Amino acid sequence: MHRKTSLLCCSCLVAVFFLWCTRAGAHDPKPTPENTIQIHLAEPVKPQPFPRPVKFFIGNVIDRSGNPQPLLVLKDRGGVFLDRQPTEIAREALMVSLHSADALATDQDSADLVVNIYLFKFGLAAGSGIDFFGKVEFTAVIKNPKTGESKEVKATGTSIAGRAVFKKNIQKNVQEDIGAALSDALRNFLRGTALRDAVAALTLPAAPSAAAASQPPPGFSPGLMRPRFR
Amino acid sequence: MRRIFGLFLVAALALSAPALAKDPEKKFKTAEAKHFARAEGVELSPEFSDYLYAELRNELGKTKLFALVIGEGEVVEDADAPASIVIEGTITEYKKGSVVKDVLIGFSAGWRSLRVETKITRRSDHATLQTLQSHVRTSPRWNEKVMARTVAKQIAKEIKKSLTQSPNGS
Repeated sequence: MHRKTSLLCCSCLVAVFFLWCTRAGAHDPKPTPENTIQIHLAEPVKPQPFPRPVKFFIGNVIDRSGNPQPLLVLKDRGGVFLDRQPTEIAREALMVSLHSADALATDQDSADLVVNIYLFKFGLAAGSGIDFFGKVEFTAVIKNPKTGESKEVKATGTSIAGRAVFKKNIQKNVQEDIGAALSDALRNFLRGTALRDAVAALTLPAAPSAAAASQPPPGFSPGLMRPRFR
Repeated sequence: MRRIFGLFLVAALALSAPALAKDPEKKFKTAEAKHFARAEGVELSPEFSDYLYAELRNELGKTKLFALVIGEGEVVEDADAPASIVIEGTITEYKKGSVVKDVLIGFSAGWRSLRVETKITRRSDHATLQTLQSHVRTSPRWNEKVMARTVAKQIAKEIKKSLTQSPNGS
């Protein structure tokens, strides 16, 4: 009798747990064409001019946000999803911006510098609750493929947009907010003093090697070198 | 009837003209807002600084004093530097308040308090144009980002007021 009761209790608990799980699962928004937004730059961000024209090649764009659902930007009101991975969006925006200033190399061999991007934040961050706080944060590792030297440049872009009541307006505001944050981050990167310094340090004219420096200049013979004072 | 309509139209135009003229022209080329530093003993979350920075840039854009509000560490053309400013600041004091006092006493007792010192410098010669002190208080039951929003609004308002009034700011 006692065994039967405990078995009944256990099965009840399992049933409750199962129901809770299915209910929790039902609340997870699913991407549909209605709740999916596209992020594109309104206009390309023009990079700063460098003393010497430099061609960049965009290598890897790696997501380091640790976000298990990178496409989900807003969970409330049926969710708002991105149409592509944040890494793809960032890569496209960066390539379009560099291409607009003719600073994009077609392949790695023809590039002066190779840029690898580590994306730490892309989407909405926790705000005041009164507005949407868009944030894009990444670190670019810029490498000179000839010398193997590299430098890190951090970039952050933020944007604040107002909340909305209707779902369509929410999607519109989120889309504009993330787009503005992406544009701001690219501007921070491409027009930043950190990039200017990194490019200047990595594209320095090659210093004479140690062997070449130790060699005497032409027309010099050691026998001619005499002490001035005896 | 036509005469009355004509008079009404003229009156409407005459009234709207000063309102249109009131729109201030961009006085500065760029404004660079920096992340605010914290004095010793100020215990706020790291996200607070990021949010304050974002809100401040947003509010500075609304003042319509600056042609462009740039991010931290962005390049400014040499020609634009004399008409550009840099905004730096320090959170000098933060009192976290008491929810119990706020609930039991009310009348803003136990509210959070934040003091910020803001320095405005000209980019070209690093001359200090203004030093502002801001103080805001918010309920401890509200999100701390609300406090960042409030202080950003206040700083932007004070900056606008001081730069439009001071002769140095031109």
